[in-house]
Amino acid sequence: MKYATGLTVLLGTLLAGCASTTTVDEFRPTTERISITANEKVAILGRRDANHHETDSDFIRCLSRRMTNSDFQVMPEREFVDALYPWFEPRTAPRHLRRLKRIMQDPVVQAKVQQENIRYLVWLEGEVESQGVQGAMHCGMGPAGAGCFGYTAWDKSATFEAIVWNLADLTEEARIQVDSEGTSYVIGVVAPIPLLTPVESEACEGMGDQLRSYFAQEAG
Amino acid sequence: MILLRRTISLLLLAVALLSGCVANVHVDEQFPSVVAAPRDMGAALVMDREFQNLQVEPTENTNIQLGTAQVELLTKAFQGLFSRVAVVDSRAKVPPGTDLVITPSVLQVQLSTPSESYLNVYEVWIKYRLAIEAADGTAVDDWFLPAYGKTPDSTLLSRSRAVETATIVALRDAGAKLILDFYRIPAVNGWMREQGHLQEASQ
Repeated sequence: MKYATGLTVLLGTLLAGCASTTTVDEFRPTTERISITANEKVAILGRRDANHHETDSDFIRCLSRRMTNSDFQVMPEREFVDALYPWFEPRTAPRHLRRLKRIMQDPVVQAKVQQENIRYLVWLEGEVESQGVQGAMHCGMGPAGAGCFGYTAWDKSATFEAIVWNLADLTEEARIQVDSEGTSYVIGVVAPIPLLTPVESEACEGMGDQLRSYFAQEAG
Repeated sequence: MILLRRTISLLLLAVALLSGCVANVHVDEQFPSVVAAPRDMGAALVMDREFQNLQVEPTENTNIQLGTAQVELLTKAFQGLFSRVAVVDSRAKVPPGTDLVITPSVLQVQLSTPSESYLNVYEVWIKYRLAIEAADGTAVDDWFLPAYGKTPDSTLLSRSRAVETATIVALRDAGAKLILDFYRIPAVNGWMREQGHLQEASQ
């Protein structure tokens, strides 16, 4: 009985340690919801402008999936970038509204955006970092078998920012920052048992819910 | 006799294994059409058989079949710049009504792999040279077009697939730079002024 209770307390403590803390900060010039019709699209794009800096594609896909069950249409990144080639390639994508306004001055680009019914653009930027590795684990193999003993833990943080641009009036509608952090463990009791903190999916969930709450469907 | 057969079999096996180490990459991609208003001018792209079937070896164990993809990419990119684009395999076949004759060539292809760079990405650099001439054969400019592409990461990608992905990104980069910068090349801009395309060239 004592062993069972002890084991339960230990597991509970470890699992509680795996929980992540997610903070969502937002900046919007107004509290009104962003209007969108059912046939209009929101495109979700990752920033990838510097040589070795690139927004995690898993996070972009996760957010697209999270937003898909909304009242509006979500345009996948690849489809958007292909539809407007070459204006949203890593070398040419606008970083600021001033550049977007210049691109949208081109009647051909404007016509394409209208033809595709793209109303909003969500830029994503951020990364997942691991740091502060603690503990030690040793794995070995012998004639009698193999196993790992010890434990290791590390802190993981995911920081992502989303900026919503309105392609109709070329303004910034919203800016959201999500920070999610937690500690992951691997415990070696013969077999290594990973207890990983899902910081990326927590950040995706937090950002997706917040973004969905901004949009209000208007009569098409 | 048996020894000879075994030796031959072993040699064949060794050759088969060694040839398996070479990554043969066929770049197979349908590039998107360009969203741009072409100018009312005619261009001829001179892409000879060698260029159309180009294979490059950026490293001794990587072979990239670049020809088909680069022909498609460059044709689509120039269709965003000129209202009439003819693709010919020799200078002699340039059709009448052509304003500029452009002969692209590949100067260099470089590949960087995770085992060399210690980064979790494959990277490809392609350097093009565009020989730009007027229809009468007067040289306008030799323009160098560097392009860069990389994979998001190399996780779960085979070497061939990773090199192909990075090459496609580099080709798209070449197309993007070409469309944005072609009419800004000083020599091309100057030639257009001389030819009475002044208002268009000043955009």
